[in-house]
Amino acid sequence: MTEEDQRPVGRVIGTEDATPLEFWVAVSPGEYLQLDDVVALSRRPPGQEPVSIYGVVTQVRARHEGARFDSDVFLIEDGVLPAEVAEAARVTTTRFEPEVFLPPLPGTEVRRAADKERDEALFFDGMSKRLPAGLTRDGAPLWVNLEFVDGTRGAHVNISGISGVATKTTYATFLLYGLFTSGVLGREAHNAKALVFNVKGEDLLFLDRENALLTDAERERYRRLGLAPGAFGSVAVYAPPRAGDPAATADVASRAEGVTSFFWTIEEFCLEELLPFLFADAEDDRQQYTMVVHNVAARLKRATPLPQGGVSIEGAEVRTFRGLVDLIEAKVQDEDDAYVWAGRAISPGTVNAFVRRLHGAVRHLERLIRADVPNPERHRVALERQVTVVDLHNLNDRAKRFVVGVVIRKALDEKERSGQARPLLFLLVDELNKYAPRDGSSPIKEILLDVAERGRSLGVILIGAQQTASEVERRIVANSAVRVVGRLDAAESGREEYGFLPGTLRQRATIIKPGTMLLSQPEIPVPIVVEFPFPGWATRPAEAAAPTEGLPEDPFEGFPKP
Amino acid sequence: MRFAVEAWAPDYGAPIESETLEPSGAAVDVSREVPAERWSARRPPDKTVPPSRILFIDGVRRIDAGVWIHSADGVVRPGICASFAAGAVRCDGRASLADARVERGLFCAAPDAERIETPRAAYQPRAAQGESAESLSLALQRRMGELEVQIALGCEPADLIVVDGPLRGRQNVPGAIGYVKTHQVSYLPPVVSDVVAELAEGERTPVFFMTSSWSRFSWYLRLPGASGHPWAGVVRCEAGADLDPRGAAALADVSALVLPRFASRAHKDPRAPQNLYPIAGLERELRRRLGDPALLYRALRGVAHGG
Repeated sequence: MTEEDQRPVGRVIGTEDATPLEFWVAVSPGEYLQLDDVVALSRRPPGQEPVSIYGVVTQVRARHEGARFDSDVFLIEDGVLPAEVAEAARVTTTRFEPEVFLPPLPGTEVRRAADKERDEALFFDGMSKRLPAGLTRDGAPLWVNLEFVDGTRGAHVNISGISGVATKTTYATFLLYGLFTSGVLGREAHNAKALVFNVKGEDLLFLDRENALLTDAERERYRRLGLAPGAFGSVAVYAPPRAGDPAATADVASRAEGVTSFFWTIEEFCLEELLPFLFADAEDDRQQYTMVVHNVAARLKRATPLPQGGVSIEGAEVRTFRGLVDLIEAKVQDEDDAYVWAGRAISPGTVNAFVRRLHGAVRHLERLIRADVPNPERHRVALERQVTVVDLHNLNDRAKRFVVGVVIRKALDEKERSGQARPLLFLLVDELNKYAPRDGSSPIKEILLDVAERGRSLGVILIGAQQTASEVERRIVANSAVRVVGRLDAAESGREEYGFLPGTLRQRATIIKPGTMLLSQPEIPVPIVVEFPFPGWATRPAEAAAPTEGLPEDPFEGFPKP
Repeated sequence: MRFAVEAWAPDYGAPIESETLEPSGAAVDVSREVPAERWSARRPPDKTVPPSRILFIDGVRRIDAGVWIHSADGVVRPGICASFAAGAVRCDGRASLADARVERGLFCAAPDAERIETPRAAYQPRAAQGESAESLSLALQRRMGELEVQIALGCEPADLIVVDGPLRGRQNVPGAIGYVKTHQVSYLPPVVSDVVAELAEGERTPVFFMTSSWSRFSWYLRLPGASGHPWAGVVRCEAGADLDPRGAAALADVSALVLPRFASRAHKDPRAPQNLYPIAGLERELRRRLGDPALLYRALRGVAHGG
């Protein structure tokens, strides 16, 4: 610790109440305190050990002392009225060590907390496993206690913020990068996996490409966090097949190689009861036809598998989704079969509603549910690499819900089957409000709730993001131990979902820049403003450095030799 | 030393304004700058150089408690425990507090008065001439004046020093002018009142010479921002008698040039425009530094009872 850090920056003032939770500090002439500065002071209660009090500056103000009217400022600047400029900072306490909750005494010297004191102020000293969460405004690292991420004492991360300026997804991937490369997971880092849904543009399809725009200054920020700047090492990218393409090539524009198209076979669709995931709109649970959905799903389960993923249902061979829909329609409307397919005493109106919905899905899902491509097992989303990216961006909402629901359920099923929480699986889901809206229920919402509530024990960690936490199922947000907020609009920041932000931080959430977040974690009572470095992986095609691997040594490998 | 604290509020025995102490029977010589028949309102000539640094000096006083001192000779004499302060504001483009000092004194005629030490403050014994409230107050006034002189002499030299109130007792501050806000006009020759009534804003009367118990040059000037009656916004300034009339007139020109700039506005100061902004600001600051009267009163009572 240098002399500079030890020099007092001010004193506790006595004209405002000093309380154990909050107090004001007058800033000494020639010094300054800014928002988010970490400060420390001590008080010795009679006959006891000194108590160290730590806090974070949550407001600063400057005013003219000696002025009584607003217009006095002109007199003062004109050199007519004498006045002093006084600066004061409000400090919200973070920690008392030992825990003797006394107010700091007016007049007590306050110093900037650095090094060891800063670690104590922000509880870093007690964190045995520290996950880098970014840099605070003074350029020092901010850590998150891994025990509140990995399920030991808490789990899940929730990120809110306006699209475009809040950089939610980038921050989520930054956390992921830290998890995998900082060494915080220890040996487990090799086996831990992440499932990432790419919902917007082709932003996340380049996680394995180094960012060509990464400057040396940004590299330095990574190093300060104990990270090596770079891209994700092991990434698999899945994208939906191009619509109408019988060969089912992946539908991506910016990346040609290393992308696998994904779909489900008719067989999987029938035998694994994926039908309910087609009916995942928020209002669906209020409809009568859910009964029909479950009856039909039960019938489909009886289908006989055929090679290449097709099925035979009551003697009819089905190889396309459209064919399957036509068959289901015929069955539920057939006078003889409707009894078992649609269910008893189902009105024609309900059946029609079901059929209408089902038909509505055909156009969007026929490329994702099919049995007309050879080797369909190659197109199954498999969590083999460390990071698996599933691209959803050019699917419509209904298809997005289907994919997210089915992929997460399969991942959960696998985890449950393994019976072990470790290695961890991180789920990175943006636009949570689409999949787990506050109102209504749907199969996907149930799955996400399951992850939120049981994920800790299953070893499935949800890193969820949404524009507005107020539109997401309360229990999902409430179960997230770490909450992060980027730029919010003013109306949203006033909602109760952000109750963990003190008033000034709520205001601040409406003006913070991209690359800056407010992070709240269970151990630190005040959310901390954190900046994270520019991503070391490409977030769009223009940033992608040329691939360093992937081109085979012999480009003609596999061709018949002359 | 035994003493008791007067139970009545300390300000009950109405302190005396120094300005009312001026004897009214002053001899006035109006022909020092111009002959009486050529008296008229004067505006500072264009060549007048505005001072680059002005010092405003003022003091405040407050009686914290009335006390009764038990002397060794068995006589009980009245005294006052007072807090007083003097300070200076320097105006040189910025207005800033140049110096301020606070003192506390026990003003009393008792020969064996001792220092009163309270947990909050100490009161230094200061001799008063008599036992009446007037003489106690006068002693306080005099001591405050001395403190003002100390402040004025201790500050960096300024081109103009404005002392709030009459110059009496402060004539030895070089270049100082007294600044008197209230007037007793009964002793003035009629020509003075006539010219005062004619003064426009920023104009002054010619310099005249006053002799009462002491001598000084004096002139009236009108500040901007007041209207209604012939004496609205008029202040009287004083300069030391050791000046020659030409020097006094030059000082008068400078004052007429710069003081209007510092005149206060009615909505900000009940004594506008005469109570100048720097002096008002200084008084507020000094009063603040006197400390909380209730706290000091309690401390004094505590010591009186304990002793």
